Amino acid sequence: MAIIKVKNLSKTFKVKLKEKGLKGSLKSIVKPRYKTIHAVKNISFEVDKGEMIAFIGPNGAGKSTTIKMLTGILYPDKGDIKVLDINPKYERKTLAYNIGTVFGQKEQLWTHLTPYDNFKFFGAIYDIPESRVESKIKELSMLFELEEFINTPVRNLSLGQRIRCEIVASLIHEPKILFLDEPTIGLDPVVKGNIRTLIKRMNKEFKTTIFLTSHDVSDIEKLCKRVIIINNGKIVLDDDMTNLKYNYLNKKIVEAKMKEKVNLDDEDGITIIKDKGYNLKIEVDTKKRSVADAIKLLNPDNIIDINISNVPLEEIISSIYKERDVK
Amino acid sequence: MLTVVKNQCRISFLSIKYALMREMLNKTTFITNVIFMVLNNASFIIQWIVLYSLRNDIGGYTFRQVLLLWGMASGTYGVAHFFFKKAFSLSDIINNGKLDSFLVQPKNVLLSVIVSDVETSALGDMLYGFIMLIIYGITPYTLILYCLFIICGGLILTSISVILSSLSFWFSKTDMIAETGNNLMVNFATYPDGIFKGLVKALLFTFIPVGITTFIPVHVITEFNINLFIIVILVTVIFITLAFLIFFRGLKRYSSSNLMVARI
Amino acid sequence: MRKYLFIYKSELMSNLQYVFNVFAGFIGYFILMVIFLNLWKYVYSNPDEIINGYSMNQMIWYVIVTEILWSSLSGRSFCNKISEDVRSGNIAYNINKPYNYILYSLMSHLGSRTICFIMYVIFGMLVGFIFLGSFPTLSILSIIAVLISSIFAFIISTLLITFIGLFSFVIEDSAPFYWVYSKLILVLGTIFPIEYFPKFIRPILTFSPIYVVSYGPAKLFVDFSWNNFIFIFIAQIIYIIIAYMLCFVTYKKGVKKLNVNGG
Repeated sequence: MAIIKVKNLSKTFKVKLKEKGLKGSLKSIVKPRYKTIHAVKNISFEVDKGEMIAFIGPNGAGKSTTIKMLTGILYPDKGDIKVLDINPKYERKTLAYNIGTVFGQKEQLWTHLTPYDNFKFFGAIYDIPESRVESKIKELSMLFELEEFINTPVRNLSLGQRIRCEIVASLIHEPKILFLDEPTIGLDPVVKGNIRTLIKRMNKEFKTTIFLTSHDVSDIEKLCKRVIIINNGKIVLDDDMTNLKYNYLNKKIVEAKMKEKVNLDDEDGITIIKDKGYNLKIEVDTKKRSVADAIKLLNPDNIIDINISNVPLEEIISSIYKERDVK
Repeated sequence: MLTVVKNQCRISFLSIKYALMREMLNKTTFITNVIFMVLNNASFIIQWIVLYSLRNDIGGYTFRQVLLLWGMASGTYGVAHFFFKKAFSLSDIINNGKLDSFLVQPKNVLLSVIVSDVETSALGDMLYGFIMLIIYGITPYTLILYCLFIICGGLILTSISVILSSLSFWFSKTDMIAETGNNLMVNFATYPDGIFKGLVKALLFTFIPVGITTFIPVHVITEFNINLFIIVILVTVIFITLAFLIFFRGLKRYSSSNLMVARI
Repeated sequence: MRKYLFIYKSELMSNLQYVFNVFAGFIGYFILMVIFLNLWKYVYSNPDEIINGYSMNQMIWYVIVTEILWSSLSGRSFCNKISEDVRSGNIAYNINKPYNYILYSLMSHLGSRTICFIMYVIFGMLVGFIFLGSFPTLSILSIIAVLISSIFAFIISTLLITFIGLFSFVIEDSAPFYWVYSKLILVLGTIFPIEYFPKFIRPILTFSPIYVVSYGPAKLFVDFSWNNFIFIFIAQIIYIIIAYMLCFVTYKKGVKKLNVNGG
């Protein structure tokens, strides 16, 4: 059963252009110039109940604009949205009772209050009876392991602890859908992993549908079963995570700095991207050859420095485009 | 419907309470801010002492009435800026996409935003207002009228700021208009209406309704007049209604943080 | 000396782009003038009346001039800048630089306010002319004298505010001191000339900074006499020397204290 239905959704913004310097500001006052930006162009998709869906794309792709339209913050220009059969455009408040939101870059908590007082405040915002708020706080602080600092003012907490509190605050009213906009932005890898585990646990416990945006591929890899990739306001891919992994996330980039020159040629599963003698950059197709194998080929004794990374999201997107062209 | 209103009031009071608690974290700063504002307002008495040494009445006001006028002006300002501080930086909130977190809450957006912070020094303005009322002559009758009028005046000041700031939904760079409007309301409020004539006087009872927020209340407290009293209440209701109508009309054009200026 | 002129010039150029912000200030200035026009029209029962030696037109011109000097000064942000320099310890870095911190901040502030000052003068004269239909009678030479005393008033204000800002060496927040100073000038120095106050206060006001930073230039503008000019001019010179010494001593002592504490 689909609980989010989006059909032919579009949104444009008029952005004022400003030229540099005194002459520029003079000009922009007398005769402002605008540029129309199509942030979201005619997109359609559906999300089922209990799903954990990832909505990814590079910065400025239209992720945030879409999530803001789904949550009732922005009015769409064209198209239909139904979230839990509610139209965010007309019934913002009704919708708000039923969804939770966490915006990684914007804090909703009062920093001088303790997480506990904050949760009570959010309980009051959602008109939840006192006794139910108490039991909910207990339940959630156990699940998210907040007991240690639930009575410490938020301003004294680490970024990771704060995000956990933000998520709990948005769950007080037992929303049916949780929107997470870049929840792990600015966090270190260990904390990121921690947050992911907790989100996963919550999804299992409460069967909450999760709509997650990120520009970090690994966020999604670990969390979601389905992924929608958006670029330039259009949906590029709407597919199962396993498919995406099989086709695009199986490649690793290995960059190595060597003591001695190595002579390496393209082999099955290995593509050389850059070869400057001592500095080497190769792409390993893990379907065909393990990363360990590839390193062995380089002669591990000669490696001064090595860096293994995922293929950047931008490249995955461009390879998706390339494939389409071939087809 | 009634529970909705009750819950909305509850959350607004809670929000003001928490914001006040935040201001009181540093007790010394808090108290200094309040006291300095009282002294600040009091320093202007010198101006009136000099003026009343030249003439016995200025604009038809006695010296005592001028004190009441000051009490009225700082009281209305205090109410508006203490309880509804964010109404006075609403342009900035709209322009920088800071309405987002209020829009995902199941409460009235405008109300939630404007009560989300308090101005400490405005407490000093309110305090000064009551001191002036005491000097003027406090009775249960003047106290009730005074409280009622500063609430009405505060609501009008807030509504004006909301209306002018809401222009930011339609046009850029309108924060200056809101600022000017707010300044006009403050600057004229501390001078007796009798000194103004013609066009300026007409403006003060229409487009710059200082007449409604301060001048009429002073007259009504001095000498009760039921018609003038009703006018103040009526104008307050009209301004509040307009503020909500215009803000929510504009909200449909809200563009979050997407309306940034692109540099080329 | 050349390097201070350079500092002045570069501040002047970089502030050209903020010209529009000055227009916003004009509105507030204009409102104030409308109020005072109405107030003095009420207090003066007929335009020919003389109160405490001033006609109605002179009273309005007086407040026009004092408000020009005050509005274009932008003292609060300058005071904050100095205290911020002290509190952040930035001031300690300036010790090794080949210029004098006091002169540096004086010249950079003058540079950043020059355009604003000129615009306020033009606007203020325009407002006065529209309201009153005439200018006070002044010869070319006396206009120059008024300008000189205005510039000196500006310099003294800047130095005094620098001195207040440097208080941050002693007390963490110098804002309350600035507040007291600004109240003093605004309440006692911009609305009424010294002659309006009771006899026993007048000598105090004459020796206070009010005489040199606001009363002096305004008095000369509305009622010029070379006699007055010489008095005001000498007082201003003395004030510049005193204010500079105060700044210099506070700065030296403060920096020493900062170095002992290890910055």
